[in-house]
Amino acid sequence: MQHAEVRNIWKDWRLHVTVLLIVLGAELVGSHEFAVGPGVVILLPMLYAIIIGIMLYFTPVISEKQSEKSEPLIVLGVALLLAKIGVIIGPDLPEIIAAGPALLLQELGNVGTVLIALPVAMLLGLRRETVGMTHSVAREPNVGLIMDKFGFNSPEGRGVMAMYIFGTVFGAIFMGLLAGLLATVTPIHPLSFAMASGIGSASMMAAASGSLISLFPEMEGQIAAYAGASNLLSLSTGLYVSIFIALPLTEKLYKWFSKKKHKDEVT
Amino acid sequence: MLKNIQEWTLLLTVFGVVTLIGNWIGYDIFSIEAILGMIVLIIVSLLGFITQKIVPLNIPSVAYIAIYGVLISMPWTPGSEIIVAWTSEIQLLALTTPILAYAGIAIGRSWTDFMKLGWRTIVVASFVLFGTVLGSALIAEVVLRMQGII
Repeated sequence: MQHAEVRNIWKDWRLHVTVLLIVLGAELVGSHEFAVGPGVVILLPMLYAIIIGIMLYFTPVISEKQSEKSEPLIVLGVALLLAKIGVIIGPDLPEIIAAGPALLLQELGNVGTVLIALPVAMLLGLRRETVGMTHSVAREPNVGLIMDKFGFNSPEGRGVMAMYIFGTVFGAIFMGLLAGLLATVTPIHPLSFAMASGIGSASMMAAASGSLISLFPEMEGQIAAYAGASNLLSLSTGLYVSIFIALPLTEKLYKWFSKKKHKDEVT
Repeated sequence: MLKNIQEWTLLLTVFGVVTLIGNWIGYDIFSIEAILGMIVLIIVSLLGFITQKIVPLNIPSVAYIAIYGVLISMPWTPGSEIIVAWTSEIQLLALTTPILAYAGIAIGRSWTDFMKLGWRTIVVASFVLFGTVLGSALIAEVVLRMQGII
């Protein structure tokens, strides 16, 4: 919030009415899903909303100024969303505490994202976008974190939004395919993958645990319970893992890799 | 500070009204409870923004907001049932649709930068998801074996 200039944006009723109309259109179309292989592609109203929003920017309906004014509203919307996620977690807190050390510790596995994806991003020649893209799986809390820290129009902000859009569009099908594939080709237990499938997105968790259940139907109950609890935990702790562990680690690795790269170019 | 609080309140209210209408059209929920639930979420957000301004630590406001949300809805908190009943009338997806509508309008300006990311984004994003699943599964495997569950 500290970066955003928020004076008098509420007075721009044309912008807010336009958004209202986008929301109405998107919600009226509703969600649609279809199966692709072992996964499911889910088209949600939010996906239509972002696409319509981008298209409207290139029409006279939305001015350059209004596009700028939209940024603080994203931050405020994410704030409301985080408040909502907070009150979803609250009632289940005893359940989460009882869910055990495995659930808690596997949350740190999200750091694997930084270790595996950051070198790839650097090799492909991405720069500061890397920090936004690879510090986490970029669900809503992490998008909020990056926007808050670096601002919407920063390279980090673009990186996290690109990752967020990819996750929103392809996350469910990708996770569905990946969980099924890894659980069958690696010696790791399906229940471990059940816990790993809760990364803070309900649709991705549903797709991943769904394909695990179809592969190992005898463990259906346990897979669903572990995946659900892990997803709740990711929503509640994921942000703090990002703030205190993953983001600092990303910054460190980024610096280390840029130095190394710079040296290689000089010599 | 006071001017900021006034502006935040007005904008959160604008956003809240759009969300409530989406909640009505998309999810068939329109009730006094939903309006009260939205007011609760707005107050929680405001308290988070104010805390962030007052506390001299470099912790983002979203962190405070999520903690406040958990605190008021824990079973140990008196009156949390009412908070949960009201706020559960607001669908999570009803909040994400207007966020992404504003985001789309804002993204339009940096669309060319997005296009520059292109195929590399898709490669990196795949590794991001792959990394978190494999990392979490490996840790879960070790701990579950130590506990004797698998």
